[in-house]
Amino acid sequence: MKIETLKDKILFAVQKVEKVTSKNTTLPVLKCVLLEAKDKRLVIRSTNLDVGVEVVLNVKVEKEGVVAVPGNILLSVISQIPNDKSVFIEEDNGNIVVFTSTSKTIIKCLPADDFPSIPKVDEDTSKTLKIGATELVSGLKAVWYSSANSNIKPELSSVRIYPQEDKLVFVATDGFRLAEKVITTKNLPDFGHVLIPVKNVSEIIRIFEGLDQDIDVFIDENQISFKTDDIYMVSRTLTGNFPDYKAIIPKSSSTEVVFLKQDLVNCLKMNTIFSDSFFHVKFNISPKDNSVKLMTKNNDLGESSTEIPSAISGDELDINFNYKYINDCLSTVNSDSVTFYFNGPGKPLVIKPVSDSSFLYLVMPMNK
Amino acid sequence: MDSKTLWDNILVQIELDVSKATYTAWFKDTYISKIDSGTVHLAVPNTFVREWLQNKFHKTILQFLRDSMEGVRAVEYLIAPPNKKKEDFVTEIPTQNKELPLNVYNINPDDNLNPRYTFETFVVGPFNELAYAASQAIMKKPVAYNPLFFYGNTGLGKTHLMQAVGNHIKQHHKDKRIFYITSERYTTEYINAVQANRVNHFKEKYRKYDVFIMDDIQFLSNKEKTQEELFHLFNHMYDGNKQIIFSSDQHPNYLQNLEDRLKSRFMAGMIIDISPLDTESKIAILQTKAKMNNFNLEPEIAYYIASVVHGSIRELEGTLNAVICQSQLKGKSGISLNEVKQLTKDSTKPQKNISVKDVVKAVSAFYNIEEDSIYNKTRRQEVVRPRQLTMYILREDYNISFPAIGQKLGNRDHTTVMHSCEKVKNELKTNPELINEINQIRSLI
Repeated sequence: MKIETLKDKILFAVQKVEKVTSKNTTLPVLKCVLLEAKDKRLVIRSTNLDVGVEVVLNVKVEKEGVVAVPGNILLSVISQIPNDKSVFIEEDNGNIVVFTSTSKTIIKCLPADDFPSIPKVDEDTSKTLKIGATELVSGLKAVWYSSANSNIKPELSSVRIYPQEDKLVFVATDGFRLAEKVITTKNLPDFGHVLIPVKNVSEIIRIFEGLDQDIDVFIDENQISFKTDDIYMVSRTLTGNFPDYKAIIPKSSSTEVVFLKQDLVNCLKMNTIFSDSFFHVKFNISPKDNSVKLMTKNNDLGESSTEIPSAISGDELDINFNYKYINDCLSTVNSDSVTFYFNGPGKPLVIKPVSDSSFLYLVMPMNK
Repeated sequence: MDSKTLWDNILVQIELDVSKATYTAWFKDTYISKIDSGTVHLAVPNTFVREWLQNKFHKTILQFLRDSMEGVRAVEYLIAPPNKKKEDFVTEIPTQNKELPLNVYNINPDDNLNPRYTFETFVVGPFNELAYAASQAIMKKPVAYNPLFFYGNTGLGKTHLMQAVGNHIKQHHKDKRIFYITSERYTTEYINAVQANRVNHFKEKYRKYDVFIMDDIQFLSNKEKTQEELFHLFNHMYDGNKQIIFSSDQHPNYLQNLEDRLKSRFMAGMIIDISPLDTESKIAILQTKAKMNNFNLEPEIAYYIASVVHGSIRELEGTLNAVICQSQLKGKSGISLNEVKQLTKDSTKPQKNISVKDVVKAVSAFYNIEEDSIYNKTRRQEVVRPRQLTMYILREDYNISFPAIGQKLGNRDHTTVMHSCEKVKNELKTNPELINEINQIRSLI
């Protein structure tokens, strides 16, 4: 194999692909990215047997061939090359030589034969849909942090995507809070639903974030694939049932409070300094005095109490939350203000951005 | 040799041939899911493994399989979750957070079917063999009987049967769209659709299915608009040659407050009665359930449970669970018949002690006549029949002797009672309405 390309181009591709390589594995070849030069194109591929990704670059191919190169080393080498330089990669006796006009590096390779192939979703038999990369990423980013970290309930450590008329609904929950985001698209097939493991969701976000293209999505029984002109990505999906979450979303509320988002974020930051190990923050809502106070207390460090300007209606309420859960959702809210719909002590809180009905967040209070 | 040992043997050989890394990466979580007529179905954890085994190890695997077992022609790879080994020990992280009251439902949201209900766990006995045969027929040749209507008391396996049909069709005809719903949910969805002004969407949703299963249709009574909607849906599906399956606790004729046009449509297909359980079927069911729980059920215990538990399969299951639980507590020695007797003492319904008066009261209430007239000598037509029914019920259900019945009901001769019982018995054979009447009276007592 021998190719010539620009540093920026190959760096961009290797950066995307390298992250997917498996860091700690029994199969050493999974630490590698596969470089395949063929038909004036270089295909860079990597997988951790959970997701697989493939990026295609147009390069000058002088000699076709395939090599498996340890991903982290290739990335470090390429990122050290000065900009605006042409990069040559040549195979030599089972190793590769990366050289520019000024430098020369030899990287040991592994047998390319051992590199797993990346499964393709059959485009004819699978359900397909088209979605903009921005929409897909915003849908996933709005909910994925709500998934469970543990693997005890696989269906909760995943993001569920399902079609509802002409909308695509993204939802994730870890049993304590729940996030739902609705994205309007067109021509949705009726694919029931898919559950993508949250680990893989973070890869999907990373790969497609910042792209301004349409993605073709193919869904079959066991996997989902995403395809643009030069990127192909496939992820395993879970079989399992997602909880019937619609039933637990409260229809009404007893206390409604509207905050400016930035006020609330600042106030939470202040309070986190004194929060205890359970990340307690207490909301004291008094419609009579038209005040909302946030209070935290740490027996070792001290305590803090902050009043936030807000518009209140409904009943008086004292309620405790994990501030992390509230903070998580605020970072994905785009509008300036948010409404908190409280439902009395011990009942879930619903958070919605003002004038944006596409996002909904549900969080349970704490016991104390 | 069972498939597990077979595969274990092969894995040992493969392990020698490949590196340890390759082995753990590609072979660790594989197992044989089934072997059918020369094709070995190998379960693998994901598509990556499937591709790899197919491309790199197919020949090796096939060769090993052929060496170990005759008649292996092909290997198919399918994706299945790894066999659950020991449950990981889970330590709950202490948290003060309350949990969302989320219920994970065990049903598939696309078609509402519960995968637990299959024919493998379905016991066929004289009480349901007709229903079973009919469902087999429509699985082989859809719309052989359309609509198919099951009726029978609660807990006799109607839901199991219908869902098993759905699951079977789903498995064998991937292109068929199946939907299972209870009439109650159908009603709720209809009401929601009306509220949201989306009736058209509601109609669309249901008209796309190839097999439509509706459970517990009796709850549609008095819901005229929903009935009308179902009527249109029915016509649409019937004309489109789509299979429809219904269940109810009564024959459609006796469903209260159900539109005649719906009833007459139900009657157009095949109506099958699932009758109460006979003892043999009960034993068979007990044995199946015990097997599912890996429990060795002594025949005499099975027989005893079958003889004391009357009524639904659910009750049988409950009693069996109690027995299994108790015997697990006992450990090796197992559970004896006497202990089972002790255990089932409370869970079985005792034969109700009943006085003649109660029966008379129920009958007279049902026919709206004076209680006294039953005891009287009068031979007015409207009294004679209820009196005969009273005698029949006392004799059949409560096993009271003919002379005693006669004596209690106005000092009649025992031959009069015998004649009455015989008469009612004969009439029951030809008059289904009477069966229904008697059942209603029984429920009053």
